[in-house]
Amino acid sequence: MTPETTHLVIDALPAGYSSKPAGEPDRAAIVFTIDGAEVTAPEGLMLVDAAKYGGVEIPVFCYEPKLGAPVGACRMCLVEIEGIPKLQTACSTPVRDGMSVVTKSPRVIEAQNSVVEFILANHPLDCPVCDKGGECPLQDISYGWGRGKSRFTEPKRHFEKPVALSPSIAIDRERCILCYRCVRFSQEVSEDYQLVLLERGADAHVGTFDGTEYIAPFSGNIIELCPVGALTSRAYRFQARPWDIEQGGSVCAMCPGQCNVTYTVRDEKVMRVLQRDNHAVDDGWLCDRGRFAYQAWESEARITQPLVRQGDKLLPARWDYALDVAASALKKAGARSAALAGGGTTNEEGWLLRRLLIEGLGSRNIDSRRGGKLSADVARTLTEPDVTLSIPDVEWADAILVLATELVDEMPILDLRVRKAVNHRGAKLAVATARPSSLDSKAQITARFAPKAVDAFAQALLRSISGEDLGDLPTRAGADGEEIAAIAELLKGAERPAILWGEKVLYYAGGAAPAMTVANIVDKLGVKNTAGAGHLQIPVQANGRGLREIGFLPNLGPALTEEGDGKSSDEIAAALGDQINALILMGVDPMVDYPNGAEWDDALAKAGTVISFSTWLDGTAERHADVIFPLEVGPEKEGTLTHPDGRLQRLRQTVERAGEVNAGWWAIAQLAERVGLDLGVKVVHQITAQIADGVPIYAGITPEEIGGTGVRWQERAAAGNRPAPSRTTFDLPEPQAAAQPNGSLRLGTFRSLWGGGDVEHAATLAPLVSRTRVELSPADGERLGVNTGDEVTLNTESGEVTAIVALRDSIPTGSAFLLDSRDDGVRRAVAGSPALVEVVK
Amino acid sequence: MTREARRFEDTIPQLADTPVPDDLKAWIIDRMEMYPDKKSAIIPCLMAAQKTHGWLSPEAVDQVAAVMKLTPAQLVSVASFYDMFELEPSGNRTIYMCTNISCMLRGADAVMEELERQVGVKNGGVSEDGIFLRNFECLGACDIAPMASVDGHFVGPLTVEDAKTLVEDIRAGREVLAKKQLSRRPVAATLWQNGGRAEGYDVSEGGES
Amino acid sequence: MSYSDELLFDNIDEPNLKSIEVYEQRGGYDELKRVLRELPPETVLNELQASGLRGRGGAGFAMGTKAGFLPKGDMDKYLCCNADESEPGTFKDRELMQKNPHQLIEGMIIASFAAGINKAFIYIRGEYEDQADVLEAAAKEAYDKGYLGENILGSGFGVSLVVHRGAGAYICGEETALLDSLEGKRGNPRLKPPFPANAGLFQGPTLINNVETLSNVAHITKMGGAKYAEIGTEKSTGTKLVSISGCVQKPGNYEIELGTPSRELLFDLAGGPLPGREFKAWFPGGSSSPVLTPAEFDLPYDFDSIAAAGSMLGSGAIIMIDDSVSMVDVALRTAKFYKHESCGKCTPCREGTSWTVKMLQRVEDGLATPMDLDIIESVCDQIMGNCLCVLGDAMAMPVSSMVKKFRPEFEAHIEAARLKRTPLDEATLADELNLAEMATSA
Ligand SMILES: Cc1cc2nc3c(=O)[nH]c(=O)nc-3n(C[C@H](O)[C@H](O)[C@H](O)COP(=O)(O)O)c2cc1C
Ligand code: SF4
Ligand code: FES
Repeated sequence: MTPETTHLVIDALPAGYSSKPAGEPDRAAIVFTIDGAEVTAPEGLMLVDAAKYGGVEIPVFCYEPKLGAPVGACRMCLVEIEGIPKLQTACSTPVRDGMSVVTKSPRVIEAQNSVVEFILANHPLDCPVCDKGGECPLQDISYGWGRGKSRFTEPKRHFEKPVALSPSIAIDRERCILCYRCVRFSQEVSEDYQLVLLERGADAHVGTFDGTEYIAPFSGNIIELCPVGALTSRAYRFQARPWDIEQGGSVCAMCPGQCNVTYTVRDEKVMRVLQRDNHAVDDGWLCDRGRFAYQAWESEARITQPLVRQGDKLLPARWDYALDVAASALKKAGARSAALAGGGTTNEEGWLLRRLLIEGLGSRNIDSRRGGKLSADVARTLTEPDVTLSIPDVEWADAILVLATELVDEMPILDLRVRKAVNHRGAKLAVATARPSSLDSKAQITARFAPKAVDAFAQALLRSISGEDLGDLPTRAGADGEEIAAIAELLKGAERPAILWGEKVLYYAGGAAPAMTVANIVDKLGVKNTAGAGHLQIPVQANGRGLREIGFLPNLGPALTEEGDGKSSDEIAAALGDQINALILMGVDPMVDYPNGAEWDDALAKAGTVISFSTWLDGTAERHADVIFPLEVGPEKEGTLTHPDGRLQRLRQTVERAGEVNAGWWAIAQLAERVGLDLGVKVVHQITAQIADGVPIYAGITPEEIGGTGVRWQERAAAGNRPAPSRTTFDLPEPQAAAQPNGSLRLGTFRSLWGGGDVEHAATLAPLVSRTRVELSPADGERLGVNTGDEVTLNTESGEVTAIVALRDSIPTGSAFLLDSRDDGVRRAVAGSPALVEVVK
Repeated sequence: MTREARRFEDTIPQLADTPVPDDLKAWIIDRMEMYPDKKSAIIPCLMAAQKTHGWLSPEAVDQVAAVMKLTPAQLVSVASFYDMFELEPSGNRTIYMCTNISCMLRGADAVMEELERQVGVKNGGVSEDGIFLRNFECLGACDIAPMASVDGHFVGPLTVEDAKTLVEDIRAGREVLAKKQLSRRPVAATLWQNGGRAEGYDVSEGGES
Repeated sequence: MSYSDELLFDNIDEPNLKSIEVYEQRGGYDELKRVLRELPPETVLNELQASGLRGRGGAGFAMGTKAGFLPKGDMDKYLCCNADESEPGTFKDRELMQKNPHQLIEGMIIASFAAGINKAFIYIRGEYEDQADVLEAAAKEAYDKGYLGENILGSGFGVSLVVHRGAGAYICGEETALLDSLEGKRGNPRLKPPFPANAGLFQGPTLINNVETLSNVAHITKMGGAKYAEIGTEKSTGTKLVSISGCVQKPGNYEIELGTPSRELLFDLAGGPLPGREFKAWFPGGSSSPVLTPAEFDLPYDFDSIAAAGSMLGSGAIIMIDDSVSMVDVALRTAKFYKHESCGKCTPCREGTSWTVKMLQRVEDGLATPMDLDIIESVCDQIMGNCLCVLGDAMAMPVSSMVKKFRPEFEAHIEAARLKRTPLDEATLADELNLAEMATSA
């Protein structure tokens, strides 16, 4: 079904994971007979899947195991089973030992022919103009299992010709064969419950409420699920045909989820992004950002050549010139240089940049985090393999605590895995966040704490787990003691508890304290020796974990060894223009990406030379950069990333770089050469080899070993090389008490999936970028006399900003949540993490 | 609600900006209590909203959605499956005319035609004075075929002339075809022993058209 | 059995029997009291099994056996009374609910006791508004009297009852679609297995029975299962409510002893054909049963005899067709109904029923050829046995039986219509047909 591919195909490893998660039950092998042959297969598989063990293909339309339980609706998979008078659906019948199945008897063939005939009765025969043509399961099945002619001479069912289902998706209802895949996805996988079936019988059709657009974080998956051309990508429509495209596998580096993707490429352009099923990472899904943001890569706004500031203008420059300008500034600054890396910076880029700073410039001022330095013990404890989870572990955990993270915005793909754990694996979920979470409705326990009071909350939870008195901690956390106790009970009672927590809490709540508390909680739960139990940290940056582990930190080196005493990012900001004269920003924009962006804005104004690797001309790049190097986008990039669960993954270049874009690592090597350091790399694999040499926990790793589906370093022998933490529990500082509103409101902030340059510059995603909005409880709305849609002014001790009100029933009274975005006013208003906000109509 | 506010996380309308009539809200909350899973209350609650609003307007659906904390899409998906939900503006009086086999065999089509003439609309239409007329599948009263349900009360057997009276009765605010109300009909054995006549009910004449 | 010694219809026209006072005066709820006082659940279950009572909703499965499938144990178990009664021609449950609701409720309580059920629902079709009102009032009375709720009459046994109204969809009479509908979903049938007895309503063990089936329960425990089994035939025990409608003199519900010759029902009870007409065909068990002809009038009216004749007793709804009626009309009307009611979930039913309607419409309009009749039969064959539930079969069986048994009439109809038409007509008709189709399906 996938068209012939000619280059850059990821090695065909089975989509899977190297070791089975602890919670997943074993399946016994059984023997059954299919079309006369004896076949061994795992017990309990549906016949459709078991048949594959005997090389037998049974045609299906509605069956898609990723969607959950089979529905048995299309009837394409009917087979004969000995001892059962009626034909049975192979998609919903589990194979049993000794079963005898026939898929090719005249009776079965007659039934298959009939179903094809029924389906084609109302399906238009417009394959030549259909986007699905050439990669259409219906086409294939009609040839393989159809009668070849139809006796249907009646007029076909008519619907309005293709219409927009959303800015990104078109629907052609006449082509729909009512397999329910799309609506099941919306209702049972992403659970947004917006795409539904309307009417019944022959009038049944797919639609939304009152014709509203289907906008949801994962909506694009339905395009790939549709087995016919009923749901198509509006951006991809009529752009290409399956026979003139190529497919290339890589990894999306737009968030820590690092979903595996396939780029459809024509004429060196990405025409669409498809999922590439890796159970250990993404389970075969993509969020809409990962799927549609590729449109931004073609946008005019993208920087595709170096720029150098002349006076107050940024002017295009030749590479040589730009590199010379940057290098001379660096050379001059020497040990007074600094570098920050973030976003999708690869391990290779980070590695070279680190070497440039340390070996070439004699500076240890490198950071990939915010919020101060992590001690080696804390960093190592949080990385210890026996208490950290893989993604499949999360799926099979029996109790999950989501702590201080909104997954759908921060690591969207994990939101789906948590839902799967709850819906299909029987996991019990607790959600503890300041802002109401989209996972609340799945949770057995939801707990709210005051914005920025996560530290007090986590410590209260720790005490509750330890059976200690909570004291005034719940009050300090602005939380409910009973809810805390309930979560403690849930975690203690579980065999394989999983704690998913957002690294971002370290950025506003007492430095490393929450991390230490998580470490203590994990210790207290005593799950060190229980496989599949522990925690997973959601980094802020896509490759946050990789950058940390290769030693892109001011105080830690490769594999979290203690090394050096450079300045952390906060310290760098403070030292700009004074002790730091040159700053390299690799795929990171402190004004936007860091919560104290406004402070950075002021600091950068004083900086000497700012060298920025950027995709968009905005934020820091626009305002403060002296030299800008164009950054590669996903499919242009080659290198490795480390997934939050420790899985090394490969980015593979699938298109030529746009304009004059060059590889980031190459530019760094060029800079190094100009400051007199030979990094000794000509191709990117040489850097990977240096990493394999220099990072003990990645020792010996090769691109081949990483392959198409990645490898977790914890599962390799080299994991034994890691330095052990000298302690795994920590003394905790007194947590701060939540602010007392006294008439104003506690201020929380949140980021939306729909933000950032990739979204703003992608035609079909841009409409989703929200105007600045503030969420209030209905009670506060009433008190303040404001309604949804009203414009209000927010005053904080740092600044003021106007925002649109959204009253939400679930927002706790006394708190306001502001959408944190690139907007200048917002950046100002939230600078310094103010605790309170005044809302003025 | 503004378009701006209805982002994906708000596809469930917020009570804060969806006013719901108090008695409807109370009814829905009570009804949800009656089931192990509140979603079981969807159909009864939609019906209550339909009765309140006359039809399941988007506004009515939003109200149920806001109280039940479900998406409006989920609700219309359910509603559009069932024949008794009106997703288009409807009337305040309803005539369902059965045209299924048993009624057809006894002349339902002619009665339906006459009803269309009397009400002044075609099947599925609403008259200016708010009478909604549609044909319906078997209503479970073939013993009084051809029959109709007027606002949930069954009447029959109907002659073509009855169609006229039926509509007149509705318009006059009278009990509809008082002598042909199913609720007054004894079981068959009793009825036919008495020649089709019983207290308050009489089909002894014109039982067939 | 004649209508003088009825079970279910005993006192049926007693004024206000639906009120708990009158019902109790007639001995109502005495049996519940006795059961709770004297009998352990297993005994009640045994009586039900001994009675041989077969489900009155259509499939005719033994009620006691089904109740016995429910697992023992402490989990929540459910009873769903199927009061969806939507099979064309069927109207018996309506009469039972409207006139004697407590007979049903008492039966449900005893059945719940026997099967260890603690939550009961009556799923009643939305169109039965008056009847649902009656049931709700009756349930309230029963609660007030302590027959429903927790710890009924101090026995320690408790069961709740909710009257749940549907909203107009025939498919919700199919037991698993009923469960989905009761859970607030579209009424789509579920895949089986799992069967409701194991994982039904809210995934809990569930017993689903028809109104008439459950209305029998108190009578059975009262007279004893063995005694009940003496009524009717060996394999079709008890009395049956038969809904007779269509071209007869005296339509209505009659309570008969199973095994009574059909002729007696049609001629003695229902009064035979209308003046000057003759019967030509009949549905013996609702519109989904294959039609029979006058040649089969002497069949005993019981499950097995009707099945042996190639049809089914179904819900016990007899629809009579006389010689003034065109079988083409009947076939088309039947097919249209099932097309309209197909839930649309599975392909053969959704596509097959609508295709059949389109073909029959052409037959009706004289735009078909005899070969189309072959295609109709073949499409019906393709539907049968291949669907998710039996709604598709419910159209395919009667329609193909009509085409088979009345083929000459169908052919004559086609020929007559063809002869009547000029070539010009034909073109306009074809156009109209197209337009009509487009209008209805858009
Ligand atoms: C399409 C379809 C419609 C049905 N409708 C009804 C109905 O309206 N009432 C009913 O009691 N059973 C109906 N049934 C039968 C039920 O599925 C089920 O067999 C019955 O409720 C079991 O109760 P019983 O054993 O007491 O008969 C229907 C079945 C099908 C397939
Ligand atoms: S639109 Fe596609 S995926 Fe959805 S039901 Fe139709 S055929 Fe299936
Ligand atoms: S694949 Fe089995 S019924 Fe659709």
